[in-house]
Amino acid sequence: MKAAELVDSRTPLWRQLEAFCIQLENRGERAKLGAHRRTEFAALYRSACADLALADAHQLPSETVRYLHQLVGRAHNQLYRTQGLESQSWWTEMFERVPRRLFHDRALRLSALLFWGGFLLSAFLASGYTPYPQFAEQVITKDGMLAVEEMYADPPSLGRGFNQNAQMAGFYIFHNAGIGLRCFVMGIFLGVGGLFAITFNAVYLGAIFGHMSTTAQSENFFNFVTAHGPFELTAIVMSGAAGMRLGFAIVKTNGLSRRESVLAAARQALPTMMAAVLLFIGAAFIEGFISPSAIPYPIKALVAMISSLLLLGYLVVLGYSTQPDDDADEQLALR
Amino acid sequence: MPLTASQIDSHVQVVTPENIAFEYRVAGPFGRVMAYLIDTVIFALAILAISIVFGLVFSALDLGGVAELVIAVLAFILYWFYGGLFEALWNGQTPGKRMTGLRVVRTDGRPINAVQAVLRNVLRIADSLPIVFIPDFFFGEAPLVYQTYLLALVSMTLTRRNQRVGDLVCSTMVVAEDRSRFGKVPAPDEPELDKLLEAIPANFVPSRSLAKALSHYVGRRRYFGPARRQEIAKHVGDLLVARLRLPPDTDHDLLLCALYVRAFHKDDAGGDDDALIAPRVPIPAAAPVPVQPVGPTPSSTPSPPKPTSGAPFA
Repeated sequence: MKAAELVDSRTPLWRQLEAFCIQLENRGERAKLGAHRRTEFAALYRSACADLALADAHQLPSETVRYLHQLVGRAHNQLYRTQGLESQSWWTEMFERVPRRLFHDRALRLSALLFWGGFLLSAFLASGYTPYPQFAEQVITKDGMLAVEEMYADPPSLGRGFNQNAQMAGFYIFHNAGIGLRCFVMGIFLGVGGLFAITFNAVYLGAIFGHMSTTAQSENFFNFVTAHGPFELTAIVMSGAAGMRLGFAIVKTNGLSRRESVLAAARQALPTMMAAVLLFIGAAFIEGFISPSAIPYPIKALVAMISSLLLLGYLVVLGYSTQPDDDADEQLALR
Repeated sequence: MPLTASQIDSHVQVVTPENIAFEYRVAGPFGRVMAYLIDTVIFALAILAISIVFGLVFSALDLGGVAELVIAVLAFILYWFYGGLFEALWNGQTPGKRMTGLRVVRTDGRPINAVQAVLRNVLRIADSLPIVFIPDFFFGEAPLVYQTYLLALVSMTLTRRNQRVGDLVCSTMVVAEDRSRFGKVPAPDEPELDKLLEAIPANFVPSRSLAKALSHYVGRRRYFGPARRQEIAKHVGDLLVARLRLPPDTDHDLLLCALYVRAFHKDDAGGDDDALIAPRVPIPAAAPVPVQPVGPTPSSTPSPPKPTSGAPFA
């Protein structure tokens, strides 16, 4: 039997497999496919695989071989599919594994140290007790200082209706969570980008805090920022840490190959980043609806305290464990 | 180190769990930019539609601010997770990739998981660096921010699988799914072919490499004009004419077609290797039927002596 006859005898099977592929690629049609038809698909796929494997031995024409390559690839993509989002595992991920991981995360400690250290130092340098009076102006620039002062010229309760609050909350989500994700992404440049992003934000925010404490608008300013501060600043620290974790994994591989090390770190860092995004969203709602309202200051301070306690509870109560279960994570990432 | 053919022609080999090696064609930057543009247009249209719908609905209720909140949240989700969500749910494809026939798979050919899908799309921000500001674009308004994607381009150029930074981190690649239909084995049917076939010595069987070259040639010759065919066929045709002792005015193109027919179509030698290439995998047509053992055929195999009823006990 020559190649042409062989091809003729196999063509119906190949066409059948191709028809299956077309059916499987269409979501609506796929649902109609019964179980025994699917086993038929697997058998057809295996026979096409066998034909491809023996193509050289059978001296099939090159066009047929090319067709077989694409047919097998196409069927392979339908047989081995993405598993979707697996909602169940995301829940346990968020409330069991992420806090445990954060509790032991050295990148988080480094990120928090850099952020809060830089923040306090910068606030001190920009405040009234500074040994270096030009600091605030050099960091924020003259225009920036004027803009911030003007922003807090009125006490928060004035001139904001419900609609404007909602609008601002939307803006904060888009803007602040975007900054957090950028912090995260910059981390992959060996962690250096993340270190830079965290330090920059710490110094800049610290300078604004320090400077505002010296101005006439300081009461308005602190009235505004207190309530949402804990969530928002923690979220920035967390996104920076998640990014650094990704970047450091390129350098410190723990005996894995670099590619596997990054994959394992990504498996751990992404849920952490999602937790940070959720924090940003929570902060945005507080910033949109509570911070600018006429609620008396003690209640806003109470909101800040409750949110701090929630964060501590998340990190310490949910997170407390003798050792991280990262080995299991690495296994998952490699699977 | 010299490059092999597969390194030049952008095919990567994937070994399936069935231990079969097949080839994917990796998509290059210019194939992928089309998918990106389509996705960008879809994204912009989606934002526009969302804005119009929610804007109308909520401003009718006098809640314009809530509309902006909803729009901002949806815009945030779409901006950061459009690609990730689609690739996780659509088996590695976004609408743009589906239209252009691309798919994201792992570098070992397996499907991506949700973490990889989301992460490689979030890391797009790193790939889009460096950012260029074009100030005063619209009459002194806010500067236009333009993402150059130079880092992605450099990274794709330097890696064999055309991976951008997000792909490298997630160990993924973008492959082009070929949707070509099956073409029959080409059968040249020029009228003079039979005569030439008889002129070729019956014992001449094209070698394996020659057969491969012939199939490449015949598969593509329909795209060439007569002069070009002669020009291409001349190189090997001269040698073959001399070796087969054919008349020197033999048409080279026709000769290659005749040899192709000899190699792939006409079977004069008789099926000596039929057993090797008989269909191996029985495919159940509708319901799986247990394979019946072939009954003894009286002509070829001697049937075992059947116990004929009767004789000893009669």
